[in-house]
Amino acid sequence: MKIKKTHSGVADDFRSANMASEAKLPERLRRRDQQRQEEAERRRDARQGGGESAERGDVFSAAFSSERAAIEELLRPDAGDAAALEEAAARTRRLQRLLTDSAASMAQYELKQAQEALRRLQGALDGRREELLPKKKFAFRSRRAAGTDEAPPGLPERPRPAAVDGAGPVRLLGRGRAAAGVDGVRLLGAPSTVHIKHVRDCEVLCGPVSGSVLVDQCSGCTLAVPCQASCAPTNTTDTHIYLQVASRAIIEDCSGLGFAPFTWTYPGLDADFALSGLDRRRNNWDQVDDFNWLAAGRPSPNWSVVPESERRVAWEEDPADSRV
Amino acid sequence: MGLLTILKKMKQKEREMRLLMLGLDNAGKTTILKKFNGEDVSTISPTLGFNIKTLEHRGFKLNIWDVGGQKSLRSYWRNYFESTDGLVWVVDSADRLRLEDCRQELSALLLEERLAGATLLVFANKQDLPGALSKDAIKEALGLDDIQTHHWCIMGCSAITGENLLSGVDWLLDDIAARIFTAD
Repeated sequence: MKIKKTHSGVADDFRSANMASEAKLPERLRRRDQQRQEEAERRRDARQGGGESAERGDVFSAAFSSERAAIEELLRPDAGDAAALEEAAARTRRLQRLLTDSAASMAQYELKQAQEALRRLQGALDGRREELLPKKKFAFRSRRAAGTDEAPPGLPERPRPAAVDGAGPVRLLGRGRAAAGVDGVRLLGAPSTVHIKHVRDCEVLCGPVSGSVLVDQCSGCTLAVPCQASCAPTNTTDTHIYLQVASRAIIEDCSGLGFAPFTWTYPGLDADFALSGLDRRRNNWDQVDDFNWLAAGRPSPNWSVVPESERRVAWEEDPADSRV
Repeated sequence: MGLLTILKKMKQKEREMRLLMLGLDNAGKTTILKKFNGEDVSTISPTLGFNIKTLEHRGFKLNIWDVGGQKSLRSYWRNYFESTDGLVWVVDSADRLRLEDCRQELSALLLEERLAGATLLVFANKQDLPGALSKDAIKEALGLDDIQTHHWCIMGCSAITGENLLSGVDWLLDDIAARIFTAD
């Protein structure tokens, strides 16, 4: 009896507690529960009907064909100009992406159809581009012809810079011995990149280069070059390089190279350094990699550090400065 | 379901691509790679071997191989051709003297059987330099219009400013995805 009572008491307690909590259940929680049930129901419906993927396929094909029609409209011969063409190209790309993304859920036949349609579209696009662009091509040719007149790379017998344009790249081309009796070239300023090619027995002093310096097939030269990206002499012999470099120098098929830190100076050098963005404190002039000497631990025979006693300290002024 | 279908499905699931980045030395391959990956580009040295980067972009996993372009390294390029989905050819647009070299190296690559299925993206890099050739001029110099064997596209870009890097890679991904992941 006592036991029974206790039982019922517990049951009563439970019920009352339950009711109380139900009454206190926040509105928010109830709503969420309802949503969850609806969601479950919807999912069950979809499973039973199996209609969801078919529906998605329909949505895809509707979107695909309307987009295709729009692009075809843009590609009509009377429809427009380059801007319309660009838009058509962009929309074709988007269409392609859409197809790529939904390919996994498509039937083989539909996929093939869509791909075929896209191919036709791309063909039409290319055709239209051909129609519109020849004019542009022609204009470009004439412009280029004018450009080559100004700066022909590789004028014979001219060790002077072949092209000096603004802060742009500098190309220094020699042919044979410095024929005009020029034995020194000064490049003041902050060029973006410097190419030195086929120069013999010549002194080339250069302001800070914001990009890289390429040296090819030179011999018997003295170069002073500060640069940011890299200094890469190839096929060069018996040349001393006074270098300032933030990364590393790398040599290939060279011999008899000497490296020393950059010491040349001229009025305005500091301003040019600031212009080029080079950090003067970071100089890896003696960190030289040699493509022809990959053995670690042993120094390459192709280059050496110029002993301090043999380094140039005085750089005489050259009146024939060329301001870059 | 044929074997090929199974293989394609597998590849589709992984959405993984292998891109090979080549070009002459000093073209800016490593700089492009680092910039694309958001790293510092101010102290890049010439690449003595190769760099590999794996990164996620637009839901694809990209394995990008950047191989040094120095003359002595070019004979090793072929070690990297296998199963390349996209070839990125990087050109120094300011290096007029070596454009012919550049053209020859590229056309030799395109004859390569193991690269036959790869999409070609040409980056006309260093467009930020004042004397750089336009991408149209590069297109002409490299004879890209004569390429019949590969899908190709040329983009003017700058690895320093980051200009056009993304749109170039996006084009490449779209082209490869269309080929690998939906081809019948």
